[in-house]
Amino acid sequence: MKRKFDLYAMTWRLPIIFWQLLFFVGPLLFMVAISFFVVKNYRMTEAFEMVNWQKMLSRGYFWDSYWYTIFIAGISTTVAMLLAFPASFALAFRASDNLRRWAIFLLIIPFFTSYLVRTFSWYVILAESGVVNAMLGQIGLGPFKMLNTHFGTVIGYLTLTLPLVVILQTVTMANVDKTLIEAARNLGCKPLATIWRVVLPLSKTGLIVAALFCFILSFGDFVAPFYLGGSQEPTLPILILDTTKSGQQWPRAAVVAIMMMATLFTIAFAAIALAYRKGGAR
Amino acid sequence: MTEPLVTFRNVKKHFGEFVAVREMDLDIHAGEFLAIMGSSGCGKTTTLRMLAGLEAPTSGEIRIGGDLMNEVKPHERETPLVWQSLALFPFLSARENVEFGLKMRGVGKEERKRRALEWLDRMEIGEFAERNITTLSGGQKQRVALARSLVMEPKMLLLDEPLSALDANLVIRMQAVLTRLQKELGITFVYVTHSQSEAFAMADRVVIMSQGEIAQVGSPKDIYRAPANRFVAEFVGRNNILSGTVASLDGETVTISTPSGAFVATAPDTARSVGADATFVVSADLVSVSREEPTGENRVLCTLISEEFVGSMVTLFLESADGHEFKVQMQERDLIELDLHNDDQIWLSWAVQNAHVLDHE
Ligand SMILES: Nc1ncnc2c1ncn2[C@@H]1O[C@H](COP(=O)(O)OP(=O)(O)O)[C@@H](O)[C@H]1O
Ligand SMILES: [Mg+2]
Repeated sequence: MKRKFDLYAMTWRLPIIFWQLLFFVGPLLFMVAISFFVVKNYRMTEAFEMVNWQKMLSRGYFWDSYWYTIFIAGISTTVAMLLAFPASFALAFRASDNLRRWAIFLLIIPFFTSYLVRTFSWYVILAESGVVNAMLGQIGLGPFKMLNTHFGTVIGYLTLTLPLVVILQTVTMANVDKTLIEAARNLGCKPLATIWRVVLPLSKTGLIVAALFCFILSFGDFVAPFYLGGSQEPTLPILILDTTKSGQQWPRAAVVAIMMMATLFTIAFAAIALAYRKGGAR
Repeated sequence: MTEPLVTFRNVKKHFGEFVAVREMDLDIHAGEFLAIMGSSGCGKTTTLRMLAGLEAPTSGEIRIGGDLMNEVKPHERETPLVWQSLALFPFLSARENVEFGLKMRGVGKEERKRRALEWLDRMEIGEFAERNITTLSGGQKQRVALARSLVMEPKMLLLDEPLSALDANLVIRMQAVLTRLQKELGITFVYVTHSQSEAFAMADRVVIMSQGEIAQVGSPKDIYRAPANRFVAEFVGRNNILSGTVASLDGETVTISTPSGAFVATAPDTARSVGADATFVVSADLVSVSREEPTGENRVLCTLISEEFVGSMVTLFLESADGHEFKVQMQERDLIELDLHNDDQIWLSWAVQNAHVLDHE
């Protein structure tokens, strides 16, 4: 009786690292193991063979998908960062503290509803007979095909990331010491140039982290390319789905997943290193 | 009289309902060291910011070199400011900080570097040129901030409590550095401070501000000897302030009867009438102390309450029969000769020309 109680208490006192091992590192190692399994007669069997790695990494369609995913996530990140910047800048420097609080609160609200539902709502707006084309039709334009295009994918990604990017950028830039902007002006810096000379260097870390988040979310997203992008150019998450469906190829799907994770690790590592690199001399 | 470099004419600054600066008239002359002094929140920084174009006056005119500056943007002015917080760019090295203004003015790379290093050397921190700002000490940062402004070769340098973040012994050193620089360069310094000793030690002229208004402008000596009003008299400290009514008038002098007795003081040429309220001040270091009753118009018998020593100077705190507090400042060795003890009765006296009637309350 006493022993059991101790064990219970111990379990809760175990450091967070244990849970990390159990629920993150464990499954990850298991996935690595699976990538060496083989599938025979639609059944996965334990093995240690390089065949999945050889097959996947030598296929043109894998690399097409790989570079396409990086490309479209990169484009989406760039667009999100650029679209968000003017709004964040205004919220950080022009808005009152009160307005900024409300804006951040409102920007969190989209996360209350399912991303999937929000994505579906774009159907109504972007469809060939949807709201946008109807309006363009009024002035004699269109209809344009927007669903099942790269554009659709990017719109989907932005649905997921844009509010988050605005929040992160705003919070970062709101912390910029306004005296430094005035000091630059006092030394002859034109108003717009202060963005480049002062605001960006001071908010570099936060902006890179915002971009990194945006990229990670887009890179791993399945919903946008599937429902709005039409998946004719499959991104890696869609490739994973297709691979598991076709002939129960879980091991090959694991290869794709590991490649994705390795890519994200590399990019995240480089981004954080860049974010915290010291400007100027030591 | 040459044209002043800067003129404030009826300048007001409101922040919504709040009036930060009201009806300011001020001339600043080329080459002078002007201190703007006042307690926290009296509008010193706001005044300086208007001069730098960082705030626009709500009404009135500010001219620099005769040109109306109200609408001129900060980056179009030559009014470098040394910030209270220093406001150095943490992402740049010391040298890059100093180069910043030159870069904005389109000075070439080599020239920029040469001039920045020249100024860093002049400020005796040449060896730290390539160091990141965040690794420098308070005094070194202070010098970088000065170099960053002075490298622009301005006609006028604005300083907002630049020494308030330094420790006391460093403050004295930097005061000397600043006054010497100002003399060597011959440019105008507009120096904001809340410290009376700093303003009086460094400046040619001092502007005393109170609640958005100028209380008095004058040389440290003038303000110290003849404060214009009660606020300044109290602010400057060290003053004995006595209030009463005018008993008689005689040209330049006025006899004022106070609860401590009747005293004769000099009055500036403002109209006064017998029976009117009047206040006069006597600086604490111009009051003499003696055992025997002195001759002369102004004397009062007091009881010694306490003594306060600062260096070789001592301040005596005394009380007259009616309970008014008097202050006397003297050399410590003079005090030893007098052999005074607390509760001793002693005579205070001062010359008529050292007692000044305030212009207004
Ligand atoms: N941007 C502003 N908005 C509202 N009030 C301000 C602003 N700047 C200064 N004030 C107010 O104006 C008064 C004078 O400020 P300031 O010039 O900074 O005083 P100080 O003499 O201490 O430098 C203060 O009461 C301050 O709160
Ligand atoms: Mg101030």
